[in-house]
Amino acid sequence: MTEHLASFPVLSCMLLAPVVGLLILLFLKEEQGYLIRMVSLVAAGISFFLSIYTFVAYDKNLGGLQFVEKIPWVKAFGITYFVGVEGMNAPLLLLTGIVIFTGVLTMWELKTRVREYFIFQLALVTGVFGVFMSYDMFFFFLFYEIAVVPMYILILIWGSTRKIYAAMKLTLYLMAGSGLIIPGILMLYSSSGLYTFNMLALHGVAFAPWIQKVAFVFLLLGFGVLAAVWPFHTWSPVGHVAAPTAVSMLHAGVLMKLGSFAILRVAMYLCPQGFQYWAQFMGLLAGAGIVYGVFVGLAQTDLKYVIGYSSVSHMGIVGLGLATGTIDGLNGAVFQMFAHGVMTALFFSAVGYIYDRTHTRNILELGGMSKIMPVASAFFITAALCGAGVPGMASFWAELMVLVSAVKVFPIRGILAIASLVIGALFALRVVQKTFFNDPNPKFAHFEDVSPFLGLPRMILIGFMIFFGLFPQVMVGLIKTSIVPFIQGM
Amino acid sequence: MMLFGPELYYLGLAFIIFLMTLRRTPRVERDYNLTAVLAGVGVLVSLLCLCQNGELFYKAYRVDLFSQIFKAALALGLFLVIMISRNIAHIEERFRAEFYLFLTTCTLGMMMLTSSVELLTIYVSLELSSYSLYILVPLRRGDGIDVEAGIKYLFIGAVSSGFMLFGLSYIFGAAHSTYLADIMKAMPQMLHSPIGLVGLILAMAGFFFKLSVFPFHFWAPDVYQGGANQVVAFIATASKAVAVALILRLAALGVGLGYNFAQVLMVLSIISMTLGNLVAIIQRDFKRMLAYSSIAHAGYVLMGIVGLQEAGFASAVYYALAYLIMNFTVFMVLSEVASDGRDLKIAELAGLWRRSPLLSMSLILGIFALAGVPPSIGFTGKLFLFTSAMNSGYFWLVLIGAVNGTLSLYYYLKVVYAAYFMESDLPPIQLSLSTRLLNYALCAVILVFGVAPNSIIELARAAVKTVI
Repeated sequence: MTEHLASFPVLSCMLLAPVVGLLILLFLKEEQGYLIRMVSLVAAGISFFLSIYTFVAYDKNLGGLQFVEKIPWVKAFGITYFVGVEGMNAPLLLLTGIVIFTGVLTMWELKTRVREYFIFQLALVTGVFGVFMSYDMFFFFLFYEIAVVPMYILILIWGSTRKIYAAMKLTLYLMAGSGLIIPGILMLYSSSGLYTFNMLALHGVAFAPWIQKVAFVFLLLGFGVLAAVWPFHTWSPVGHVAAPTAVSMLHAGVLMKLGSFAILRVAMYLCPQGFQYWAQFMGLLAGAGIVYGVFVGLAQTDLKYVIGYSSVSHMGIVGLGLATGTIDGLNGAVFQMFAHGVMTALFFSAVGYIYDRTHTRNILELGGMSKIMPVASAFFITAALCGAGVPGMASFWAELMVLVSAVKVFPIRGILAIASLVIGALFALRVVQKTFFNDPNPKFAHFEDVSPFLGLPRMILIGFMIFFGLFPQVMVGLIKTSIVPFIQGM
Repeated sequence: MMLFGPELYYLGLAFIIFLMTLRRTPRVERDYNLTAVLAGVGVLVSLLCLCQNGELFYKAYRVDLFSQIFKAALALGLFLVIMISRNIAHIEERFRAEFYLFLTTCTLGMMMLTSSVELLTIYVSLELSSYSLYILVPLRRGDGIDVEAGIKYLFIGAVSSGFMLFGLSYIFGAAHSTYLADIMKAMPQMLHSPIGLVGLILAMAGFFFKLSVFPFHFWAPDVYQGGANQVVAFIATASKAVAVALILRLAALGVGLGYNFAQVLMVLSIISMTLGNLVAIIQRDFKRMLAYSSIAHAGYVLMGIVGLQEAGFASAVYYALAYLIMNFTVFMVLSEVASDGRDLKIAELAGLWRRSPLLSMSLILGIFALAGVPPSIGFTGKLFLFTSAMNSGYFWLVLIGAVNGTLSLYYYLKVVYAAYFMESDLPPIQLSLSTRLLNYALCAVILVFGVAPNSIIELARAAVKTVI
């Protein structure tokens, strides 16, 4: 892959903006609520702006790795600070920027322990940015863990519904995943004989097939936990339900993508033969996830559980796309990561608003919310339409690309997936009908609808969702610049 | 003079404190301030002597980068422990000067240990440091639990010393020399007889005891719980670091022994970390939990030694230094919260986030560092250990280590849970300025050297070159 050095450290700025914000917050007092929010918003805003910049400024004709920064870090172990942008991580950086910016806005009304909340949230998002831009496995893993651990505290303190259980379960599951990732990564590191953590250099090494097979399955399962690959998904709905709104947004929207991105970036990239060997197995797990997520989601009465299980099935689509190993499949998978991220963020953001007022997420209890909060309901319904794969929304294209190539590669699983998605869509509409168009619950009649300011983050999310629904070529064209060489290199 | 600088300084310091102990009426405040300042100067002295190089006492005593790094670490450990000893509620005022005295002699003994390259010198220095600790542990004013801890510590210490002497006699008998350099040359000839292996493993027992490696770990929980918080902080930090140093020195002898020797270390490592982590899960007393976590950490450190290669040794040095800092951070929080000197239950950390945000920040950083969560020295150190073990081909060891990392997270998170989530209506904790500064400094060290470990790891590599 050709590398083009950055003239200005855009990526480092994107990465460090939340860190600087976090450091400023450390020296503020809890009473300075407005200042705390503004600092977080500015920090998130800078990252958001820079992520848009890299997305737009990435030169598609030039291709390769751009905005590269490379600093030797620990010579003794061959660790380099190596960040860059290419077609497949540019959308995900953008996604992270969108979700953290709208996440800070969504949490504007937070009352308890505001300072600590934003400190941990900014720490988390630093990790996420870091994972998406790192091309050195040491930093990749370092940021990966930074992104995972603050979740424990975020859920524990600001969460709801069985939060103590959920926080511990989530953390232990994800750390167990890390327990598999470490041996996988180190196995590749030490058997390469290069003594470097640089992924591009390791890609050039032809690992023995058995090493690839072993390392791949370790990495697949380890990262798969975070990507909520069936049957390691059980932490995810519980965790999403318990987490506070913006954390659910970040978690379902971005964090789960770390897992699938890492499978693509590390596992498939470094162990192509391992991937060939396990592709069937991967497809099987992904297919099971899609079907399982849809049907379990149908039985839920808690809105957040519905979304949680739909995430499992949507992440299954990402996994299925990856498992096909075709250009369209990978393209669709990356696109789906982006589309699902924006969509779920909107979902949780909408539910969060309703829940903050009504203190319930029970579908039957909510009844006809659209008569009480038409705007808030509209946000949810838009997300639901996107989730159901309605044309004109970003995920329509993504799912289409994945499913078309899945039917070619795994006919039975592909058709099953399509069938269950159709059924899922049908029932999603039933959920919308029950929650928003039944008789309104008089208990909630006095609540106000979303104010324009609080509506802003949701509008941003919808804007991106529809923009990429109408102009999918912007996204697909970009992703393709890295997927095509990726497949050729495998 | 400069070669023996730190030792001479601490000998002098011990003498000054000895004079303090002679007074009939203790002057607690003045003694404390003087000791703290002198201990601080001691850190500077050790740092000034960092680049000394040479041999003393008929080559029984080698001053090199390796020993000087650990001397600096020990001086730092003593200084830090004295920093948190302003009000040691559980040690009577008339024994305060003795408390400082024995801490200082223990530091002196351990400093001499790091430089000893001759078996008898090693043994004598070891006993100097151990006897000081045997006295320090039961110094606590308590209801008998201190005596139990003291006796356990003494007995298990004596037994492991016995093992060690036995091992040393084997080595001496086989190699006809007490100098490590000569023994190293003679080692290849012992390759085919078990005497070298058995002798070496037994000789290391004395330091396995200090590091609380299985099967010499039994003292740890009781001593941690029974000793005064500050004494335990010293045992858990400085004493561990020096144990790593000496295990490295002795393990270097085993390079020629190769496979069998490494297998023994590997088994000890696996048992230590698994046992430590599993038992720590059910602990309710904070210090007891830390004791079991120290057993687990001893297992992690051995991972770096198993490979018997330079990179692994350097990782072990890095981890020993990192462990000193992160474990001390936790002990500092512990002794500030339990300012009346009681044993702290984990649940008693409740409401810490409100009572003292600064302490709770230090606690979370220290605990996360122990758990190996980035970006902390604990994470980086652990990853280096894993990397070097993997480079030597110990795949299963790394896998078990990684699984252990997950296990340990459970009980570390329980501490975070108590400190950040549980509520209590206790009043805020007032911290003195020096404690506040100490908090900031420790947090900064944990983060900065976790993210940018290069300088330390290069230093450690340069240091272990003289050992292996």
